[in-house]
Amino acid sequence: MTTTLVDASDQAESALLNLHKKFMSGNRPPEALVPLNEAAIQRFELLKFPHRKHEMYTFVNTKELVSTVFNLPGETVVSKDFIKSHVYPECESSYLVVVDGILNEDLSDNSAIQSSINLVPLKDAVDQPEIKEYLADTIEKENDVFSAINTAFISQGTLIDVAAKKQVEAPLQILHVSTGSASGNVTSHPRILVRLGELAEFKMIVKYVGVQGNYFVNSVMDILVGEQAGVTFSQVQEDATDAWHYSKTRVQQGRNSRVKAVNAFFGNKITRHHFEAHLKDVGAELLLNSVSILNDAEQVHHFVRIHHEAPHTNSTQNFKNIVNDKSRSSVDGTVIVNQGAQQIFSDQLINNLMLSDNAHADNKPNLMIFADDVKCTHGATVGQLDENQLFYLKTRGLSEKVAKELLTKSFAESIVQTIDFPGVVDYLENTLLKKLEA
Amino acid sequence: MLEVKDLRAGFEGSEIIKGISLSIKAGEVHAIMGPNGSGKSTLAKVLAGHPSYEVTGGEVIYNGENLLEIEPEQRALKGIFMGFQYPVEIPGVNNAEFLRMAYNARQINEGKEELDPLDFDDILTEKMKMLSMEKKYRERNLNDGFSGGEKKKNEILQMAILQPKLAVLDETDSGLDIDALRVVSDGVNKIKSADNALILITHYQRLLEYIQPDYVHVLSQGIIVKSGEKDLALELEAQGYDWLTPTN
Ligand SMILES: Nc1ncnc2c1ncn2[C@@H]1O[C@H](COP(=O)(O)OP(=O)(O)O)[C@@H](O)[C@H]1O
Ligand SMILES: [Mg+2]
Repeated sequence: MTTTLVDASDQAESALLNLHKKFMSGNRPPEALVPLNEAAIQRFELLKFPHRKHEMYTFVNTKELVSTVFNLPGETVVSKDFIKSHVYPECESSYLVVVDGILNEDLSDNSAIQSSINLVPLKDAVDQPEIKEYLADTIEKENDVFSAINTAFISQGTLIDVAAKKQVEAPLQILHVSTGSASGNVTSHPRILVRLGELAEFKMIVKYVGVQGNYFVNSVMDILVGEQAGVTFSQVQEDATDAWHYSKTRVQQGRNSRVKAVNAFFGNKITRHHFEAHLKDVGAELLLNSVSILNDAEQVHHFVRIHHEAPHTNSTQNFKNIVNDKSRSSVDGTVIVNQGAQQIFSDQLINNLMLSDNAHADNKPNLMIFADDVKCTHGATVGQLDENQLFYLKTRGLSEKVAKELLTKSFAESIVQTIDFPGVVDYLENTLLKKLEA
Repeated sequence: MLEVKDLRAGFEGSEIIKGISLSIKAGEVHAIMGPNGSGKSTLAKVLAGHPSYEVTGGEVIYNGENLLEIEPEQRALKGIFMGFQYPVEIPGVNNAEFLRMAYNARQINEGKEELDPLDFDDILTEKMKMLSMEKKYRERNLNDGFSGGEKKKNEILQMAILQPKLAVLDETDSGLDIDALRVVSDGVNKIKSADNALILITHYQRLLEYIQPDYVHVLSQGIIVKSGEKDLALELEAQGYDWLTPTN
């Protein structure tokens, strides 16, 4: 029994190593990135694909993904109309299109913010010691095998640099397009690095879409937030249903920095989002909200690690998942308070709404506290609609169907409303929330 | 309009309402008073059709129909309104939008045209003004983070918009300061007419100084132990409820 399992995962690992050889010899990565690619594939060989009981994949079954044979995507033309339909109104002249992990300048238009941000290809960015060391350091510490794979397959990657004191008015949209494949499966590895200098302010919308299915998008985004800088962003995962989405967001926060992230997930075969934050200096503040609405067999899994590494830091998280039919969601979230990090405030709330007996919602909220003067709360609920709320609406003449729909929507709406981009809020109300209408 | 005959109802096997009879005609105001825990809210919720309460006996006839067989939303559409003692908070539902949905549900039921947000706005503005409610309450989420008094005002706002035939107001006065009580009472008095009826549930007679009841009933341990005209409320105020206990 066990030997066949080992064999299967051995096979998958050698298939990935072969794909990597193909990637390297096809000479796709620029010279300057090769050391990163090589170091990361070594990290992969050490970490290996997760076995069934891997603690980072408690709720995620990676078996099908790992045993699928992937190719690297070929050149596919993406139409301007397709792009236009996915650009939010507030980003009309401030969007970057990344097709299968490669920035496409023809499809992009960032004229509105060209002068306020610096776009640096990663191959040039690694000339900066800070960036080079950061990337080397994260490869060494990487514990998520899929993020290691991302780095092993970086062929381009972009640093978005916001200079000190720069306040970028318009939000930047990054549109990740997976072209997918009509037959067979392809995989791509988008990589974005965002760096905010001291006192900089930046807003960003990241959206994932697919032209067709049969793909695995494996994305990593690092956000380095300088002293007293602030970043507000939203990620919208709306990939093809017949696709896998793995992504990791890694945030490093300096003194008195602020991060606000509100993410929305449509789900697909398996979406797994890994959110890792390091509140490294006094006064750093993080807000992370997330909503998923899942039908059919869609899945969304969250893996969250918030590290309070300095005193007087605070983090607030609010997850809401609605699961219908045979869908699955999970939130595996741990808040870690380091030794000596006193005066911490942390709050984590996970609420799941089950609309079907066959749906699944798993939670694993956890606190690891190595300091004594902290105020940390966490909680998780799994439930159906509230009977008293339902009754209240009915006494106002709303039918059972309308009342249920309203309550279900309101459950998600309370997260959607915390998004700072009206175009995104509008969009989600007309798409994500519409998934609740039978 | 409403005939309650020997109504018995309870919760998970325990009987809370132990045989209540009431007869209410259009144009009348009935006050139901009684100590905490006497079953006043239970009576209100049974009339509104709360699914947690089980009716174990008696009947309720509303305009010739057996009310107990009608779904809560149908009761509402037929003109029954309940003002909750503890209005429920519903985050994520916009108050103005909710009020319009409730208004339109009534309109559709009566074969009338639905109002779009702009037309409904006129009605909403007028009713909110009547209740001295600040504009911000339309943008807020339904009762979400409202103070006790704000919630009660929002209940009466709903009543003003829905223009019920029979309103059951459960402790609407609690949580209101004296100014708000006056405003809310004035509002209720304006809605009141010869065509509709009102059941006021309260355990203070304070509210009854502003809204004059035609009849006062005292509820204790699930039964009406005394009925009278409005002077009874004053007697209760002076003597408390202790002298009134069920005889069996
Ligand atoms: N949902 C419920 N679950 C359990 N007990 C209840 C419930 N509702 C009412 N009761 C009980 O029924 C009695 C009457 O309550 P209620 O109708 O709320 O009284 P009042 O409104 O007069 O204060 C009380 O003893 C109360 O504890
Ligand atoms: Mg009560």
